[in-house]
Amino acid sequence: MSDDLKVVGFCCNWCSYGGADTAGTARMQYPPNIRIIRVMCSGRITISMVLKAFSDGADGVFVGGCHMGDCHYSSGNYKWRRRANMVGDTIELLGIDRERFRFEWISASEGEKFQTTMSSFAKKIDEMGSLHRHFKKIHS
Amino acid sequence: MSKFLEIRSKNKDICTLGECGGSITSILQYLLETKVVDGVLNIKKYDDIYDGVPVFITDPKEILETAGSLHCAPTMVADLISEYLDDKKLAVVVKPCDAMAINELVKRNRFNSENLFIIGLNCGGTLMPEPAQRMFELFYDLNPEDIIKEEIDKGQIIVLLKDGTEKGVKIDELEEKGWGRRENCQRCEVKIPRNTDIVCGNWGATEGWTFTEVISEKGVKLINDAVKDGFIESKTPSDKQIEIRAKLEKIMEKLADKFQKKQLNTEYPSIEKWDEYWNRCIECYGCRDVCPICWCNECEIERFFENESLTPPDPLTFQGVRLTHMSFSCINCGQCEDVCPVHIPLSKIYYKAQKNYRENTGYIAGITDELPPLYSPENE
Repeated sequence: MSDDLKVVGFCCNWCSYGGADTAGTARMQYPPNIRIIRVMCSGRITISMVLKAFSDGADGVFVGGCHMGDCHYSSGNYKWRRRANMVGDTIELLGIDRERFRFEWISASEGEKFQTTMSSFAKKIDEMGSLHRHFKKIHS
Repeated sequence: MSKFLEIRSKNKDICTLGECGGSITSILQYLLETKVVDGVLNIKKYDDIYDGVPVFITDPKEILETAGSLHCAPTMVADLISEYLDDKKLAVVVKPCDAMAINELVKRNRFNSENLFIIGLNCGGTLMPEPAQRMFELFYDLNPEDIIKEEIDKGQIIVLLKDGTEKGVKIDELEEKGWGRRENCQRCEVKIPRNTDIVCGNWGATEGWTFTEVISEKGVKLINDAVKDGFIESKTPSDKQIEIRAKLEKIMEKLADKFQKKQLNTEYPSIEKWDEYWNRCIECYGCRDVCPICWCNECEIERFFENESLTPPDPLTFQGVRLTHMSFSCINCGQCEDVCPVHIPLSKIYYKAQKNYRENTGYIAGITDELPPLYSPENE
């Protein structure tokens, strides 16, 4: 994956972030393009945050949460799932390929799943290239 | 009491002044005079037929000023209730989009629907005031200021002039040439608002009567009491009339479906076109302010753009955030598009988003009784 492509990854503190940690401590290699932002729960993530990431130059956005039923706060990931199902349609309406957004359930022990998910997502983003939004600004 | 009724005013003056026997005017008068409600929220003609202003009426005599139809003034009242009148017992006369907006706001606890008498109107569509005036010049060949009354009936937009002459032109004909009803109304699929207490209209009605469908318990009581107190009289329509009404509704729905396919699929603007539209945005927040669904006290867009001085704003965080906030509840009222000073066809993208949401979750904005699935606290 070329180095100038950026992926923003929102990872929940209890599962996905732990998963990333597991991948790190086990020295599993995954593309360096991902910038992880730790959030306490995937239920905290709003679609606006995904849009803001794209607007600020991300080429892809990844969101990781706990498996269904495993949420530390019992229902956060259910809430996120309901929102996540909307993201694809929304970004497509705004001219962004829905493949540029991905969400996955990764537990703290699944370092390998984190690695493979990141690699395949990075590959996909690499194929699609940089997110060119021909939206030029007129300075006032 | 049967579900379908024909009613008209018992007062001869109101009978001729109002549309179709003035039954709504009389019902409102009944509600005010017997103090069932504190006030009535309705639209009143201001300068001319192109100018409708919402009025809150507490004096039964003033009700007369709101009699008659105003198709060229697509003003909405739902957000006014939540902003100013949420503590009052109200009667409100609504078109389908208003009824849907009320439904959405009630679900969000903006006000209590128990305090409301909602009188729905069959609606074939409205016109924008400015284009309507030009349309009357071009296709009717007359001075728009001479028109004192207009009506949509039998597929025609009919106008009545000062000198008493009438003139009608087929809506199809007008719309083929890009005039006629607003685009939202063309594609609107709710022609009879059944999330109300009673629905009134002229479809299937005998001349001088209003065809009424009674929906809720409250509606039954309202009609019964108004008849008992001598404000209106009622009769049962024939099966044929009910059939005609149902048939008309079907035809309208089919037409709306056709327009929907055209506006949201075949002729939907491309991404490049949208970028061109977004580029026009002057960040006036008009679309947000006028939206009946949008009501947060602290607006997220404002926070995003607090320190930003560039126009146009980035569509992802401006329109995009609005899209994620309320598009699942978009009721296709088209106000955002109406007020947009730079003519961005906003309601197309919002409504398309609601259509997507509807497909995925089955939630129909303004019709479904529960809150959108997004609000659900359940583990599912």
